[in-house]
Amino acid sequence: MTTVHINDTQDTEQPKSPHRRSWLKGIGVGAVSLGAGALATKAYIDSSDGTQTKQDAYGTHQAGIITPQPAAAIIVVFDVLAKDKKGFEKLLRTLTDRITFLTQGGQLPQIDPKFPPLNSGIMGDKVFPDNLTMTVSLGASVFDGRFGLTDLKPQYLQDMQPFPNDALEPESTDGDLSIQICSNTAETCIHALRDIIKNTPDLMTMRWQMNGFLPPHMIRKLGKDTMRNLLGFKDGTSNVDAKNDALLNELIWVSDHANSAGEPAWAKGGSYQVVRLIRNRVEFWDRTPLQEQETIFGRHKLSGAPLGKPNEHDDPDFASDPDGKRIPHDAHIRLANPRTPETRKNLILRRGYNYSQGLSKSGQLNMGLLFVCYQSNLLNGFLTVQGRMNGESLEEYIKPFGGGYFFSLPGFAKGEYLGQGLIQAAV
Amino acid sequence: MVSNFKLIAASCLTLASFTLTACGEKASAPKPADKTAAPAAPAANPEVAVAVTDTACEPASLTVPAGKTTFIISNKSSRPLEFEILKGVLVIEERENIAPSFTQKLTTTLDAGDYDMICGLLSNPRSKLTVTPNANAQVAAIPVTQLEAPIAQYKAYVLDETKAFVEKTEVFVAAINAGDMNKAKALYASTRAHYERIEPIAELFSDLDGSIDARADAYKKVEKDPEFTGFHRLEYALWSEKSLKGMKPIADKLLSDVKALQTQIAGLNFPATKVVGGAGVLIEEVANGKISGEEERYSHTDLSDFDANMAGSKKIVDLFRPLIEKADPVLLKKTDDNFASVEAILSKYKQGDTWASYDKLTEADRKALAAPVTVLAEDLSKLRGLLGLN
Repeated sequence: MTTVHINDTQDTEQPKSPHRRSWLKGIGVGAVSLGAGALATKAYIDSSDGTQTKQDAYGTHQAGIITPQPAAAIIVVFDVLAKDKKGFEKLLRTLTDRITFLTQGGQLPQIDPKFPPLNSGIMGDKVFPDNLTMTVSLGASVFDGRFGLTDLKPQYLQDMQPFPNDALEPESTDGDLSIQICSNTAETCIHALRDIIKNTPDLMTMRWQMNGFLPPHMIRKLGKDTMRNLLGFKDGTSNVDAKNDALLNELIWVSDHANSAGEPAWAKGGSYQVVRLIRNRVEFWDRTPLQEQETIFGRHKLSGAPLGKPNEHDDPDFASDPDGKRIPHDAHIRLANPRTPETRKNLILRRGYNYSQGLSKSGQLNMGLLFVCYQSNLLNGFLTVQGRMNGESLEEYIKPFGGGYFFSLPGFAKGEYLGQGLIQAAV
Repeated sequence: MVSNFKLIAASCLTLASFTLTACGEKASAPKPADKTAAPAAPAANPEVAVAVTDTACEPASLTVPAGKTTFIISNKSSRPLEFEILKGVLVIEERENIAPSFTQKLTTTLDAGDYDMICGLLSNPRSKLTVTPNANAQVAAIPVTQLEAPIAQYKAYVLDETKAFVEKTEVFVAAINAGDMNKAKALYASTRAHYERIEPIAELFSDLDGSIDARADAYKKVEKDPEFTGFHRLEYALWSEKSLKGMKPIADKLLSDVKALQTQIAGLNFPATKVVGGAGVLIEEVANGKISGEEERYSHTDLSDFDANMAGSKKIVDLFRPLIEKADPVLLKKTDDNFASVEAILSKYKQGDTWASYDKLTEADRKALAAPVTVLAEDLSKLRGLLGLN
């Protein structure tokens, strides 16, 4: 099974992905795609264009959370139109079927040409995996009583309340259900999105979406190099290590860890997803003295090193700088991650993308960060981290205008459907 | 719009000291001199001991030679205290929150002249620091002391504008409370203009900036949001709802917020980087929010704000004119030309004391404004660097 799970976005040949989900060991589902997979594996390995790279659809956790980031993403948020629990279950089953097909690939059915095609055709007649993941998450509004789920809401799930620097546009905020679509290319993401909306017109309708991108050449160096945001700074240097299972169980997955105390049983294996659409005032930023830019972030712009240190991954060593003379107290990295024993529980898994879409009404670039992060405890995670950053110097240059809090469903095994535990727990 | 001094402003207010610069300086990077001081020539720096008590500096006066000096500041009281070196209203250096019985070092480069020191609380009487001429001292291209006079003049300008702002707001609020919609509409733009002229300073007080000047889109429920207050809420009532029903609490709060702002600004020491940087920040306001007509979306009085932002920016350029002239005469000339280009276009829409509705601007004029505004934003962004400010 793991040989199918080739990730050719890695620099070095890694026959066994470090991110494969351990639940696969010893369970039958591993054999599911093995027949087809084993035969095709050689071809996949030889393929260097990434189109045959695939991520497992099944697992304890959904793919797309600790999976290494590919270059393209769409976050799309829907309002659910289904009227009752049965309709909602149908939606989840439909999503499960489509996601399983799209992420693993396969032949599209032939149809009578007198009818519209079943599919956009962007990928031709045979869908290829292209490293696609689709991660389904639910907003607080799904638990409002329409589907009989009121008592099953993850305890921290809530609508997004604006932080002081936010200007949340209602048309780009919240929603019932988010799908994070990631793959090697924008086209594959778009293909998947169009497949989903074609298959669910009676069940949900799009509320907002945002496309994101990262440089493919940097993706290949993940773990060795860090992406830059559109302000030109390295972003995510101290991210949670996605290979550390103990850390993931504490900080990222709802689990048996004390950090998850009080969560409904069905939520185990899921994670809180935060999406924020954050416009960067890039023209203004580009007119800001370098020294001030670096002071605002707390890092040297080109090397990414903490101020006063030579290398990107050097410890910012805040303890040696109690006055904030080297790295100011309101520098972004100092507020985001003070690196004290008490703030360890606030660590989040960042999985953001850059975005660029046209112009603002003032004729300035509308671009910035499609911020996405995951955590096992929304309060200890994003809410606390962002609370610390209220008033940071960077605020003059950024404007969060949308997003939402969602709960990423636990993964599913062959024969199961997404959110099955939730539906079965409902009265 | 929100200031990058939000946190600083808040923490200063809780310290019950209105000296923003005490905190504001913190946001600026360490001076290169600080970084290189210790390893380069530690022995060359004279070291001077100053004790900070609840009420004063010990000794009460100090004399040091021009150039680099290291102050060894010890807190001899039982609570956290601060230490500042000032030149008039200009804060040259500061250390805040020095813990009781702790000692901190502060290395700074001073030009010859008379300075003040404040120890303990910022309301304490000032002590004297005399810096004597020193032939060996390195001289900065533009000595920081030369910023003292323009910054003092800028503070006077801001205080005048604030005073007028309070007076006009009183009349505006009275009109609202009297239900006189026509009068309130007529006063709206000219009242706000005082705020728009001094925005880089007014924005330092982010809570007040929000309650006085935030637009509806800062709130999740937009116009219906109960947190939506201030000028734009009243603008919405006057032009969009066409009713002042329920506006008395909003109007009264506006007046008390505006008066609170006046009190805060009166006690403020003006950070040099903020003042000089303010020239560009005002233009960024125009480029990001005013060009689109989003700022005054109900009343379309954007041109008044536009003109006020420009005037506020030009004021700063004028105050620092001799220094800019010395540092980069070409840039100064170009800046003057661009201000003139903007004024020429705006003047077409001036109607006595008021301005044409922003939607009356031709597409060609809107486009024509974009070029000088963008160039001003680019050029004025260099001012701080030009004047040697971190």
